[in-house]
Amino acid sequence: MSPHLTRYVLRRLLQAVFLLLGVVVVNFSLIHLAPGDPITLLAGDGGDAAYFAAMRAKYGLDRPIVVQLALYLRGAFQGEFGYSFAYGRPVSDVILARLPPTLLLMGVSLALSTVAGVWLGLVTARRARSALDRSVLVGTLIGYGMPAFWAGQLLVLLFSVRLGWFPVQGMEDARQDYRGLARLVDLLRHLALPVATLSLLHLALITRLTRTGMREELSKDYARTAHAKGLPAGRVATRHALRNAVLPVVTVVGGDVGTLFTGAVLTEIIFAWPGLGRLLYDATLNRDYPLLMGIFLLVGTCVIVANIVTDVVYAWLDPRVRYS
Amino acid sequence: MARRFRFGTRRGGSWRVVYLVVVGVLTSIPVAAAQDGTPTPVAGGTMVVSIASDPGHFNPAITTGFTQHVVADSIFNGLVGLDENLQPVPDLADRWDISEDGTTYTFHLHPGVRWHDGAPFTSADVKFSFEEVLLQYHSRTAAGLTPVLAGIDAPNDLTVVMRFTQPYAPLLQRLDVTEAPIVAKHVYEGTDPTTAEANLEPVGTGPYRFVEYAQGDQVTLERNEDYFKDGLPYLDRVVFRVIPEANSALQALQQGEVDYAWNTTPAQTEILASAEGIATVNAPASPGGALCINTLVFNLEHPPLDRPEVRQAIYHAIDRERMLEQIQFGSGRVATGPISSRMDAFYNPDVATYAYDVDRANALLDGAGLTADADGTRATLVFPHPNTFDRYGEIIREQLGEVGIEVEDVSLDFNAATDRVFVERDFDLGIVSYCNGTDPEIGVRRVYDSRNIRPIPFSNGAAYRNPDVDRLFDEAATTLDPAQRAAAYAEIQAILAEEVPYVWLIETEGLRAFSAEFHDFQHWSGHFAETAWTGAGG
Repeated sequence: MSPHLTRYVLRRLLQAVFLLLGVVVVNFSLIHLAPGDPITLLAGDGGDAAYFAAMRAKYGLDRPIVVQLALYLRGAFQGEFGYSFAYGRPVSDVILARLPPTLLLMGVSLALSTVAGVWLGLVTARRARSALDRSVLVGTLIGYGMPAFWAGQLLVLLFSVRLGWFPVQGMEDARQDYRGLARLVDLLRHLALPVATLSLLHLALITRLTRTGMREELSKDYARTAHAKGLPAGRVATRHALRNAVLPVVTVVGGDVGTLFTGAVLTEIIFAWPGLGRLLYDATLNRDYPLLMGIFLLVGTCVIVANIVTDVVYAWLDPRVRYS
Repeated sequence: MARRFRFGTRRGGSWRVVYLVVVGVLTSIPVAAAQDGTPTPVAGGTMVVSIASDPGHFNPAITTGFTQHVVADSIFNGLVGLDENLQPVPDLADRWDISEDGTTYTFHLHPGVRWHDGAPFTSADVKFSFEEVLLQYHSRTAAGLTPVLAGIDAPNDLTVVMRFTQPYAPLLQRLDVTEAPIVAKHVYEGTDPTTAEANLEPVGTGPYRFVEYAQGDQVTLERNEDYFKDGLPYLDRVVFRVIPEANSALQALQQGEVDYAWNTTPAQTEILASAEGIATVNAPASPGGALCINTLVFNLEHPPLDRPEVRQAIYHAIDRERMLEQIQFGSGRVATGPISSRMDAFYNPDVATYAYDVDRANALLDGAGLTADADGTRATLVFPHPNTFDRYGEIIREQLGEVGIEVEDVSLDFNAATDRVFVERDFDLGIVSYCNGTDPEIGVRRVYDSRNIRPIPFSNGAAYRNPDVDRLFDEAATTLDPAQRAAAYAEIQAILAEEVPYVWLIETEGLRAFSAEFHDFQHWSGHFAETAWTGAGG
């Protein structure tokens, strides 16, 4: 890394700390201002006044919100994010338990759809207006337009209920205690439909971006020159044009890496996938303040870091980009 | 013996019969005596159970949460159980004596019971569970027993004495594994029971032992070989799978991935009825929610709802048969009053009733002087409700519109709606599933007692005040004489049906759908799997 770049990254990281502080303060205020009471969940339908008072005191909810915020910040700086009301466990434990399934689902789907999308974009750009191009165009439009809950249900109806190829729900078979390779195969079978559902939207976006970028780059002078000096068309596309065309793709993928950790609420609900998206959803309904804050903090951090990394990758891909 | 996932086939087939016979012959574990004509239970097999949300922990003594109890109740026991009619039967206590004056209950514990870690279960565990855990953190038990409990004694290892400040009739109805699970003193002593490590590695006395928990995904339990009830349980393993979406749960059930679903909905009744190999049951009770009535709450502090004729008119204007048919898909009954018709001992059918009658509703509103303005509107009422009651909101808005009452229908998430009605009190109409519990003292009184008008969820939301009703509730709670109690409750029901501080809409039931290869569930209880068995080898 050049000294310029190092200084740039350090400055961005310093800004990030203040940005995160803002994320905490704003979110903390917002969720405490929202109507609803976390004790409702704990009390069920049976709590009396004494129970509500005792639980408020136990969780410090009876103190002024500014004091609660200050206490939260003090804890957060020491790496203490409190206890989830619903789980009765440290927030960090609860979130960490959900990370592996989330990263698996989101990572596989992001990687697959990016590779497939760039490839499809490449192929269709070189055969613009062909039957293949048109069918990919229509297919990606449909994929982009379908809401996840609907696409997911259709995939289940076809591939699980009708054909019986894949299970309907879950991450692993509930009856078997598979080990080794058998476990991996079982996991992949459970992964197939949720990944397909999630990838539809992303695949469409990447394909269209790559195709448009490639079309533009291939029509530029440098591509024509490369053709003129006798380079094969495939080489012109992959070695010369793609590197420029792929820049917007980097931006989109970079943004998505930030949301990798947030999971995908709808897909996780439909396929009973034990990821972070569902945890966030449950925590919201339960008004589980400490858990909500923990998730917001994690997501905030990831988005900020992903943005910084994206900018650095940009500079690496495009030598004209200079940061100072 | 685990069942394999089979591609694209329905469960069933002739090999299954062969399998059943083989399993039956090979099984050497003694089974409970079968009655003539009923199949004999066989031991073994795995049952996969779908639940809608993640339990998060397995300490049933610190929560009234449905999901926690559906899972953890199988690991624990109460002093008494509840039979199909919600009447007390022995569990950890073999028998009990009640003093003449009804203030002292003496429980004789089952000898030789051991915790899952091998330690002996004694009366000290019972005393500890109540004093240190249940009365602090189990909201319903704390609210119900704290005002009347004088003390708990453990005179010897197998005897527990509960003393009350007054005769206390409903005690036996609130000691089952959901209302008062007994946890181990040696495990929880010196810990904060809400955050103790043991909440994730529970040690109980129950029919199943805890094996493994994958957060947000599944919980695995296995048979307790040393269970104190001879021969029970039958199943080798019970796996609880978290499937939040009811449609996914139904598909998983149809595909054989799941054997028992707690979260199918009445809207799926028709699909379930035609599904091969799937049985359904409507249970009047669930762990923590017995005999529930979907109830419309009038804010009596907001005119014109302070006038009984207006409330009676609204009652007449609502077609509850239609709600039963279109929202509940026939599951449940049209309610007639504050006490469920299934609570045989105390239900009074001879009360004022309000059939769907638009003319009568209009006449009552005219009589109350609530005349229509130029647009034909007599009044506008704000109706905030949880989004789970959206269908009720639609029908109520439509039907009250027909008698000139405009309803502003506000759909909120459950927590926000509860806050708005009970704490903010910013509403004219509200809707709540009020559960009777297993005795009127447990779940009915709180809704009508004027001393329970508080900014607390599920209290007396209407702010209904009637000294006679308060007095009658006190009378019924302080005698053990069933006839005297029934008379007091009968009078209460008659008064309330005249004054209608609430509209009792539908007595709801819990729909359970399960593989027809499984038998003998206790669908109404947290111990639903204690006696369950499968002929299919699971």
